[in-house]
Amino acid sequence: MRMLTVIRQVLDAEESVVIQDGAVSLQGRKLVMDTMDEYGVEEALRLREAGTEAEVVALAIGPARSEEAVRAALAMGADRGILVETDGFLDVIAVSSVVAQVARTEQIDLIFCGGQQADWDSHALGAAIAERLDWAQATWTNALTLKGKELIGKHDVDAGSETFTLSLPAVVTTQQGLNEPRYPTLPNIMKSKKKELRRVPLEGFGVSAKLKVVGVEVQVKERRKKILDGKNAGTAAAQLVDLLRHDARVIE
Amino acid sequence: MITETVARPAKRVTGGSFLIEDLLPEEIFTLEDLSLEQKQIAEMTAEFADEKILPHVQEIEAKNFDVSRKLMRDLGQLGLLGVDVPEEYGGLDMDKVTSALVAQNLSVMGSFSVTFSAHVTIGTLPLVWYGTPQQKEKYLPRLASGEWIAAYALSEASAGSDAMNIRARATLTPDGKHYLLNGEKMWISNAGIASLFTVFVKIDGEKFSAFLVEAGTPGLTVGAEEHKLGIRGSSTCPLILTDCKVPVENLLGEAGKGHHIAFNILNVGRYKLAASAIGGARNSLRDGIRYARERVAFGKPITAFGLVQEKIAESAAGIYATEAALYRVVGAIDVALSELDKKSPTFTQEVQKRIEEFAVECSILKFFGSEMVERVVDHTLQIHGGYGYVEEYPVERSYRDSRINKIFEGTNEINRLITTGWMIKRALQGTLPLLPAIQKVMDEVMAGPAARVSYQGPLAEERALLASAKKITLFCSGAASQKFGNDLGEQQEVMGALADMLSEVLVLESTILRTEKTANSIAVKLAKYYAARSFRIVESAAERVLGAVAEGDMLRTQMTIFRRLAKHEPVNTVALGREISAAMVEAGRYRL
Repeated sequence: MRMLTVIRQVLDAEESVVIQDGAVSLQGRKLVMDTMDEYGVEEALRLREAGTEAEVVALAIGPARSEEAVRAALAMGADRGILVETDGFLDVIAVSSVVAQVARTEQIDLIFCGGQQADWDSHALGAAIAERLDWAQATWTNALTLKGKELIGKHDVDAGSETFTLSLPAVVTTQQGLNEPRYPTLPNIMKSKKKELRRVPLEGFGVSAKLKVVGVEVQVKERRKKILDGKNAGTAAAQLVDLLRHDARVIE
Repeated sequence: MITETVARPAKRVTGGSFLIEDLLPEEIFTLEDLSLEQKQIAEMTAEFADEKILPHVQEIEAKNFDVSRKLMRDLGQLGLLGVDVPEEYGGLDMDKVTSALVAQNLSVMGSFSVTFSAHVTIGTLPLVWYGTPQQKEKYLPRLASGEWIAAYALSEASAGSDAMNIRARATLTPDGKHYLLNGEKMWISNAGIASLFTVFVKIDGEKFSAFLVEAGTPGLTVGAEEHKLGIRGSSTCPLILTDCKVPVENLLGEAGKGHHIAFNILNVGRYKLAASAIGGARNSLRDGIRYARERVAFGKPITAFGLVQEKIAESAAGIYATEAALYRVVGAIDVALSELDKKSPTFTQEVQKRIEEFAVECSILKFFGSEMVERVVDHTLQIHGGYGYVEEYPVERSYRDSRINKIFEGTNEINRLITTGWMIKRALQGTLPLLPAIQKVMDEVMAGPAARVSYQGPLAEERALLASAKKITLFCSGAASQKFGNDLGEQQEVMGALADMLSEVLVLESTILRTEKTANSIAVKLAKYYAARSFRIVESAAERVLGAVAEGDMLRTQMTIFRRLAKHEPVNTVALGREISAAMVEAGRYRL
């Protein structure tokens, strides 16, 4: 069988976000594979290591620099990579069309993608891909096993979790807690250099964004800088509870 | 595998040539030239350090050695303990740049960094270079996997810098099957957790030799842990050898040639120490910037104050310059090694010879790197004010931890003497044409004022400073050898001052070349900032030398020449420092 993991390159969480010319500046910033997508790559590798014979293909859709994210997936252990190159912005609906087309031509059985994205939190990509392919989808999974063509998994609901089974082909979206992504080992990093990474121009897919981003802004966190007089512990505690309840509204 | 990871090979140069040869930017290797694989390895290592080492700082510092052992095994699984180990013995046999990158990026806390470095460098390399196939097969896979930890036992209570004076001895048993080792070793890193020791002794009190001694060998006792100023989470103990019975097949290398092992390993230990120093400094500067961004005084974050900005800028410039020098030198070593045939029976000897060619650069990197990280942790502590002096913040530990770097792998004093002494030796041997270069400068200055060469580009002034620094160094070397002749080696203070000048020439040149190759606007500022400091050091060292070699009219003439050579207008380091600091504060860490 063949698994496809959709990966995206985003700003590293440690980087400060700076807006320049109406967009988040990436100049000189550290870019990494989205952590949510790392869970997907890791899960595909684990299912394979648990005994499923499978080829794992990493797919990125984005500018040429996204190659580094694909290479990161190859270093983790994916078998080959595909980069659909575009410098323009694509919305989720357009991206889902590209993924679906790749899934058909590559004869994919199982697709992983991040439940969320660090920089565009639509939660819609997995669902849109599944809809286009008319496949089953399992969202927000935090445990998976594969028995032949049957996928058994678990996902969180509000106050607990539920277990499900579904038959492949399917789309699975990941979340934190699904696994702990591995560090690429040195031998795997060296091996990944020789793995295939195919670059495809976006043009052949016939997609365009229907949604246009017109502006971004960064929310600045301001501190209240309140200092409680602690001479009388009882009064201070009461004041703190009052502030937490009415000002910060973090307790009821 | 080895050569492929070097993206753009640098020019093949010889050690010490930096003083008399001028290179083009494209002829040196820089951090900006890393291959994608090297970048991936560096990033993976840095992530591991942040996510797996830093959260365990307290346990490691409390000498919970199980944590360090577990981390070492994790590193082994990732391949990070096998970078310098041949593939047939479970390693990856990669280039030295990669090996330096791993040491740098793992270095986020002193204790664990020492555990790691002692294992992979002085612990493992003797076996890689001198082991018989049987010895390698028996031990290397275990060391590369982290199953076993290694230690190197050279120092004794009364033999540190003068390592040839060790008293530990070995005698062959009457049946010729074993050696009995007797003596005491001191300050042995990893001693309490090691399974394999490379122990230096003199056979029959004469032949300096090395033995591979397994932990648990009868007669080998590991003493109590030392109570140290810093790197408290690393194991340091004495070893007591009492008729310690070691099979003859565990003699490492040839009897009587153990000093080659001891000293050749140290060259690698020295440049790797600079790599760890860079990692430690980057991490500490990040601590300093994080604190400074949060700390408010007089109604403003303290990053708004010039004297705080100055500390951040000085730290960043020191890191940038050390990186430039380290990767230039290690890149050049890789080029020198890439010409060798791995299948040749003399391969490992050739490797050592090629690295030994760069002994002067290795020594410079050692003392320069250790003093750079010490300045950075001092600045970080000062930025913290009173909070820097208590255990609540990591800088209290980094400050204590950094101090050892000036002591081990050859004290900074020994390394300064090696630096100048090595250059003198090469000059006298004629293997490095220093004497003609000194003569040329002498002729030039005696001919009186000459038209100044003009340089181009954003670093034109710094190029002029570098040219002056080279001439001043040659001029002072000439003046010192004229005065002291063969006795110069005994004038330690003069040797030390010359070593300061030599190190600044190497580092400043590397900084300028790296910057010209990179064309990054912050890099240009860092290079200018560093150049100003570098030249001040050259000037002050030159005055020390000249004051010691001449007096009266002679001194006046020499000072006139010196001032003419040193003539320059200072750059505005205040403005540069503010700009550098603003960029680092914005990034929250050292970043170009």
